[in-house]
Amino acid sequence: MDRVDTFSTYNPILNFAYFIGAIGLGMIFMHPLFLVVNLVGAFAYALTQDPKKVKKLMPLVVIMFTLITLINPLLNTNGKTVLFTWLHGRPYTLESMCWGMVTGSMFAAIIIWFAAYNHVMTSDKFVYLFGKVVPSISLVLTMILRLIPNFQKKANQIMAARASIGMTEKNMENVSAVFSALTGWALEGGIVTADSMRARGYGSGNRTTFSIYRFDKRDVAMLVAMFVLISGCVVCALMGGAEVTFVPDIQTAPITNMATALGIICYGLFLLIPIVLNTVEALRWHILRSRI
Amino acid sequence: MAHFEIKDLTFSYPTAKDHLALDHINLSIEKGQYITVCGKSGCGKTTLLKHLKSVLAPHGKTSGEIYFEGKLLKDVSLREQSSKIGYVMQNPDNQVVTDKVWHELAFGLESLGMDQKTIRLRVAEMASYFGIQSWFHKNVSDLSGGQKQLLNLASIMAMQPTVLILDEPTSQLDPIAAADFLNTVRKINLELGTTIIITEHRLEDVFHASDRVVVIEDGRLIADDTPKAVGRFLKETKSEMFTAMPSPVQIYYGVDSDLDCPLTVREGRSWLSQEFEGITPTVTSIQEEPYMDEEIKDPAVEVKEAWFRYEKNLPDVLKGVSFKVPRQSIFAIVGGNGNGKSTTLKSISNICKPYRGQVLINGKRVDKYKTSELFKGNVAMLPQDPQSLFVKKTVKEELEEMKATPEEVENVAKTCDITHLLKSHPYDLSGGEQQRAALAKILLTNPKILLLDEPTKGIDNFFKLQFAQILLKLKEQGVTVIMVTHDVEFCARYADTVSMFLDGSIITTNTPNRFFSRNSFSTTAANRMSLHLFENAITNEDVIELCRQNLNK
Repeated sequence: MDRVDTFSTYNPILNFAYFIGAIGLGMIFMHPLFLVVNLVGAFAYALTQDPKKVKKLMPLVVIMFTLITLINPLLNTNGKTVLFTWLHGRPYTLESMCWGMVTGSMFAAIIIWFAAYNHVMTSDKFVYLFGKVVPSISLVLTMILRLIPNFQKKANQIMAARASIGMTEKNMENVSAVFSALTGWALEGGIVTADSMRARGYGSGNRTTFSIYRFDKRDVAMLVAMFVLISGCVVCALMGGAEVTFVPDIQTAPITNMATALGIICYGLFLLIPIVLNTVEALRWHILRSRI
Repeated sequence: MAHFEIKDLTFSYPTAKDHLALDHINLSIEKGQYITVCGKSGCGKTTLLKHLKSVLAPHGKTSGEIYFEGKLLKDVSLREQSSKIGYVMQNPDNQVVTDKVWHELAFGLESLGMDQKTIRLRVAEMASYFGIQSWFHKNVSDLSGGQKQLLNLASIMAMQPTVLILDEPTSQLDPIAAADFLNTVRKINLELGTTIIITEHRLEDVFHASDRVVVIEDGRLIADDTPKAVGRFLKETKSEMFTAMPSPVQIYYGVDSDLDCPLTVREGRSWLSQEFEGITPTVTSIQEEPYMDEEIKDPAVEVKEAWFRYEKNLPDVLKGVSFKVPRQSIFAIVGGNGNGKSTTLKSISNICKPYRGQVLINGKRVDKYKTSELFKGNVAMLPQDPQSLFVKKTVKEELEEMKATPEEVENVAKTCDITHLLKSHPYDLSGGEQQRAALAKILLTNPKILLLDEPTKGIDNFFKLQFAQILLKLKEQGVTVIMVTHDVEFCARYADTVSMFLDGSIITTNTPNRFFSRNSFSTTAANRMSLHLFENAITNEDVIELCRQNLNK
């Protein structure tokens, strides 16, 4: 990791809750204003993490957005503004296209959120979370995560070894030989791993789970803040502050509406949490350094 | 009270009932001792060590008793055994259970049901004692072999064992990582008073540190004494194990001296000085033909300023490698890890294609060969891990996979001395046997140029000797051997030419004699020991020969 992402140093529970919140709310709020906030939040966070990755994802995002926008009116013919008709008078409406645009941008935001999620939620954090719920699964997960790179490495090794005696053809015989060698090797290694586990007391009685993550005061404060902001969003949603209809004509809840205003503010603040944290941290360092 | 007391332990595996894997072993190990167990591969060393921890004890017919701290071992609870008896195995990779370094350190403590606070403290302690802090958060798969093995040791030490059992812990490591590891073991023994029971091929690094050396031959304990006494015993009984002794011991007995036996290079040096006190050596060098690079006409392999990198944005691995390999010779490349030695071999077999420069095989560019042509009768490579060549259930099937006739299989099995192993599963063979089986497999392509990547890794001295005989035989039959290795002793003895590889290119090439006699660090123990008296004695035999000539013995 080249950039320091302060948010990812918080307890994994908070990291996970944040992404659940961001992605979950993103799927509820179809109001264009909320969507803009969502997109801005997603892109801003992902860009501060890894601009290259966002750049790589852009074609996918754009293609998906365009496709959904253009295809939605083909399937849904409702809407009063007909742009043109096709296939024996089947209407292609502006409202339906707008709906497509909204859905498209929602998906776009979700893709970007997942990119950010992958960056923050490393495998060990995931295992930590699930280890709390189902302890036995956590060890299995850890071991699988260990085996996958091992398997890949060994498969490459076997193929390289065979290539250097001239067995390069990708025919059935060759592939199955590599596969059977891999299985044999994995079984063999499994015995050693089992021995190593038992030698270190696995199965000798009750077992505890250790993790390097702590739950500090700042985590508590952050949890409260997140809870308040999400509640604000939920209240807004329940009061209809984010309501929007596309067919037969486009109607959105106005920003002057109390509930809408509350929702936008809470939603915006919630999504900006990591960026605010990073900025505060950067400023703090800047001040500290200028004092030195 | 002895730490371990083994009384009349006899054991046989269910598959070989008439053969005793352990034959009436009696052994007593005191607290805090450093015990080295040595013997040929397959002599029963591992079987003995595994009996010292109940969960690892193999199934079979056992008689006799083992006492741990005065109690019968089988009456000691699983939990107590887990914590008090630490066991480090051979393979660094498979011993690791979890995916993160910190988690691996905590694994044993989790199994013992300790609370967060204790685990946190112990893990922190281990990380700093073993210098793991800088890779504490890493994935285990990103570590080097040496780091993995150190991690295995640390995660066992976290449970605070009173005895540490190590079964050939460094056989998969390069010499520098191995020495590092064994120094750490020594440190644990000296600073924490942990009892050490270790088996090792590399006796140089453990022999002098041992309080006692136990020699096992064919399941029987034949010697149990101080290192010096064991050296004498093996010499007197003309045991095969003597060839595994450290160089100073071998030279000492070769010269037939009345002084005390040296165990380390330092002791060896002062012993030689004492021997030569008042005598000025008249013959100080071994005669050797000079090596001239220009003289090689018609080389089997020629690499001309090859440059290579794995990906566009990665740094160069090969930076203008140039060398010529004379036909029908053994050409060795030595040098540190990650320098590009293995990549050089891959460029010769056209797996890595240099983006600049050329590789010529028999004067023809390697990329002009068809794959079938190149690997049938020209080039073949033995990978670092011979296991990666095995895909079948028996050695015989392995050989038949190469589309060989029964006579060919029979011949090659004879050449590589694996006829008796043809029916075995390749994974059941020992390291040296696997090496020979893999060699047999690649020899079936009738290579004229044989590429070997670390051929002596994890092999004990007898198998090395046997392997070297096969190489010499092949050389006589017209095969050119190019090997990449860390094993300077092996190169000094068997190679015709040695090259030093550093930072992506070849620094110097010479005959082993000239090559090693000019180095002062990366050279053989015999050379380091005799440097102050002789100019170019690099093998044990050289030193013995020169001593004899000068001392008239």
